[in-house]
Amino acid sequence: MIHVENLSLSISDMSILRDVSFAIAPGKVTALVGESGSGKSMTAFTVMGLQPRAAQVTGRVMLGDENLLEADEKRLNRIRGNRIGMIFQEPMTALNPVKTIGDQVAETLLIHGKASRAEAHRIAAEKLTRVGLPPERFPLSRFPHELSGGQRQRVAIAMAFALSPELLIADEPTTALDVTTQAQILDLLNELVDESGMSLLLITHDLAVVAGMADQVAVMKEGEIVEADATEQLFRRMNHPYTQRLFAATSHQPDRSPLPADEVILDLDAVVREYPGAKRGLFGRSEPFRAVNEVSFKLHAGESLGLVGESGCGKSTLTRAILGLDPVQGGTITAFGQRVGPDFPNALRSGIQVVFQDPYASFNPRWRVERLVAEPFHLMPNPPADRRDRVARVLHDVGLGPEAMDRYIHEFSGGQRQRIAIARALITRPDLIVLDEAVSALDVSIRAQILDLIARLQAEHKLAYIFISHDLSVVRAVTDRVMVMKAGEIVEAGDTQTVFDAPQHPYTRQLIAATPRIPEDWQEANHA
Amino acid sequence: MLRFALSRALSLALSLIVASVVIFAVIEVIPGDSAAYMLGMNASPEAVEALRDQLGLNASIPERYLNWMGGMLTGDFGTSYTYKVPVSELVAQRLNVSVPLALYALILSTIIAIPVGLIAASTRGSVADYGIMGATQLGIAVPNFWFAMILVFIFAVTLRWFSAGGFPGWDQGLWPGIKALTLPAVALALPQASILARVMRSALIETLGQDYIRTARAKGLSRGQATTRHALRNALIPVLTIIGLQFSFLLAGAIIIENVFYLPGLGRLIFQGITQRDLVVVESLVMLLVFAVILVTFLVDIAYAAVDPRLRKPR
Amino acid sequence: MRLPASLIFGVILSVFFVLVALVSFVWTPHDVAALNISAKMQAPNATYWLGTDHFGRDTLSMLMVGARTSIAVAIVAVGIGILVGVPLGLIAAANRGSLIDEIIMRGNDLVFAFPSLVIAILITAVFGPSAVNAILAIGIFNIPVFARVTRGGALSLWTLDYILAARVAGKGRLRISAEHILPNILNLLIVQGTIQFSLGILAEAALSYIGLGAQPPTPSWGRMLSEAQTMIYTAPRLALWPGLAIVAMVLGLNLMGDGLRDLTDPRLRRGRA
Repeated sequence: MIHVENLSLSISDMSILRDVSFAIAPGKVTALVGESGSGKSMTAFTVMGLQPRAAQVTGRVMLGDENLLEADEKRLNRIRGNRIGMIFQEPMTALNPVKTIGDQVAETLLIHGKASRAEAHRIAAEKLTRVGLPPERFPLSRFPHELSGGQRQRVAIAMAFALSPELLIADEPTTALDVTTQAQILDLLNELVDESGMSLLLITHDLAVVAGMADQVAVMKEGEIVEADATEQLFRRMNHPYTQRLFAATSHQPDRSPLPADEVILDLDAVVREYPGAKRGLFGRSEPFRAVNEVSFKLHAGESLGLVGESGCGKSTLTRAILGLDPVQGGTITAFGQRVGPDFPNALRSGIQVVFQDPYASFNPRWRVERLVAEPFHLMPNPPADRRDRVARVLHDVGLGPEAMDRYIHEFSGGQRQRIAIARALITRPDLIVLDEAVSALDVSIRAQILDLIARLQAEHKLAYIFISHDLSVVRAVTDRVMVMKAGEIVEAGDTQTVFDAPQHPYTRQLIAATPRIPEDWQEANHA
Repeated sequence: MLRFALSRALSLALSLIVASVVIFAVIEVIPGDSAAYMLGMNASPEAVEALRDQLGLNASIPERYLNWMGGMLTGDFGTSYTYKVPVSELVAQRLNVSVPLALYALILSTIIAIPVGLIAASTRGSVADYGIMGATQLGIAVPNFWFAMILVFIFAVTLRWFSAGGFPGWDQGLWPGIKALTLPAVALALPQASILARVMRSALIETLGQDYIRTARAKGLSRGQATTRHALRNALIPVLTIIGLQFSFLLAGAIIIENVFYLPGLGRLIFQGITQRDLVVVESLVMLLVFAVILVTFLVDIAYAAVDPRLRKPR
Repeated sequence: MRLPASLIFGVILSVFFVLVALVSFVWTPHDVAALNISAKMQAPNATYWLGTDHFGRDTLSMLMVGARTSIAVAIVAVGIGILVGVPLGLIAAANRGSLIDEIIMRGNDLVFAFPSLVIAILITAVFGPSAVNAILAIGIFNIPVFARVTRGGALSLWTLDYILAARVAGKGRLRISAEHILPNILNLLIVQGTIQFSLGILAEAALSYIGLGAQPPTPSWGRMLSEAQTMIYTAPRLALWPGLAIVAMVLGLNLMGDGLRDLTDPRLRRGRA
């Protein structure tokens, strides 16, 4: 029903898309998969006619026998929302904060003149019920800020689905969501496709999601489709080397062997971390919020410990307490035999370093790399005289040349920045590095390289890691032990292999079940 | 919503108390002997003593503060030393000019600025946008009292459409009053309208770049519909702040314009009070203006909550 | 990178006035203090390029020295705002939500609640009209402006990971404010400084206009305008030049501020979709 033919797009002489052709069959799920910058989202926007105004477009986007690239704005407005609906990645910002959810869903109907005001609200209630937000529990008068991310994405789906379009475009619809929510949203999309017969164009970077959802897949790289086929066949054959690389990176297992666990370097005993409650009136406060509730564990030198959980479970709060940035309200954290807290001595602080998630926010943009990497030297009573040599050495350790020292951070890619962040963490020769979602913002192929690097450094320096992530497959690949955290508590802990193969706690089971996976038998052919 | 309003009202009262202490200190405590100050250097000690008595300056400082505040709360602002009439009477007369003038200027500035900002934002990068941006840039740079002089020169001196100053009083009818306030209101409104138009434009451009506008477009709304139905209300939030700030500025900023046009308003009264060293008038008027500013800030806060549902419930 | 046209134009105008003010220290066409009644109220001519006023003073020379007064007042007033406001803003942001933050911000709100012109008039009235008191009056109102801009900019930086990294490196709040926060909000402060500078020029003109700024015989644009007002029927030209000077100077500064903002706004610099 939609045929994209030889679609090319450039913005001021920069070529973004080249000869993109694919077809979307009615009632089927078609996936466009690729890494960031591959042009998959731009393709979707162009199908909607929402590409940037400065873009030069050639080719054809055929909806039935009408070329949408030639349709005027008025015609496109009648098609958008009516025959083609679209949902986006960021549910937190995709809805108008000052309008009720009922009005926003009803607007789709009103704007296309398909219903009277009263009827539009009745249909809106119906659609919201269908996506799992029945008016009894979620009145139409709710505002977006009163809903969670997953619920907002449901509202967005109801809006896009209100007129039962022939095609729904979903641009990374679950990337910003937790795994369990992701599974629910994907199920919902699948059901809607099945019952309404609409087509779904799914834009994603996640091969595992594709494997579970799509009938057809097109793999994009640098503005071109390198391979397209029925999903199972594509996974089994993988004709194009890029597809193979992408696939290998997704299920990458760095080479590592557990180090002998001997002395305990970090010991948490019934740690409690509370935030003061919200202000009520002038002097009153509501109950304090307990973000971390009686967490206890031990970490040995050279050990790799995973910490998994969904957003808001207290992972980051726990991290900050372990780093000695915030005081704890109960229990003790002991590192290298000393109590950790805001007055943890600097000399010992240098033994615990950290790598953060966002490679763009992790560095002062006005400093050169040498100064950035050397910042933790502040922890030492006398900064070493051979500062430059030592910076060069850790940069070498993470695979960067000494010329990097005199450059600014914006000259580096995301993957390189994460290497620099690791170099900064290594400079004081710590015993423990906390990796707080350190690979979550990276494309799969870069992620695989960084995971290799992390594994190599662990063996070379006998480092202990606390590896914090929402991504179970990554944690499984790089840790010896794992803890599962929910609502401030560790609900399950144990040997990584055991926990993943035979989860005991219902929440762990739920997490593992929700994690999308590429079927085992699709993979076998490739490993042979 | 009610809870929100109450908590704002409480902080309003608190600000007023602190402000009154500051004003009291600046006017009554820091200069030393107010009576001597008011009478000037050549006053006889007996005259100064008599005035001290009359103003109640012989009481202790906290007592004087409480007397002043108590008076203000019951509508007794003291008696003007130069005019020999109750300050409240003077204020009532002058408010008849100042409030209509400020409102007139505010309305002018708003009805000019909002459509102009809207046009500039929705034709961003076009000739119209550049023209508007240039004109507003100029509007901000023109001192309002100089603009007032130009208006007087063109419309009063040369064309003789308006009189160059003075105010006939509302008892002469509505139209002569409005006519007398027109040039002053235009002079006051020009820089304000320029600022407001620019705020409107940038707020709207900011909102038009938000994700929910893209969502609206994906629903089939045209660019114009997305602007009016989704962007406008969100863009109004910063615009409201500026309108609130402007009202107080117009009320106070009128001091200079009222002097250019010889209008018997509050600003001119303050100015005269200061030059005639009538501290009774000055003190009460400054307090009154501060009250007006804080009140407007409070009203803007409430208006925010009406526009933005996220602010209605204190979390 | 292409410089915005507004920036170039604004810089040219601003630099022009600064140069004029500097030149006036060593040379003006005529002595501004000398009254020459025989040459009063002359139209522009070869000797007096822009004519003379009712005391026979040369308008051009007065404008040049007036630029000096305006710029001096504005610079010191902005300086007061920056020197006091920026540290306050940094302290408030570094201790977000604490009592000290609350006190600083409430104090700010309080100053904002006073109609600035009224207080400027009050200060000059209580302590006597003079350029110094005008500077103080304008400067005080710059403090909360800079405190607020600093705090706002700093707060958004405090949430970034590199600040957390600095804390992990054992650095205290003060050191982080100086090393990481201040350099990264400098562009905000420069833009705000330009705006406050132009507002300072306007405020000085207004105060001088009502006789509470620089006192005679120091020439100032505002007082030139108030003297010209009485002669608007006979010599409107006298009201023209000082007004144009104010407009051009303020326009130049505002254009420069706008241009700088465009230049430093990462959203405009990096055209990412």
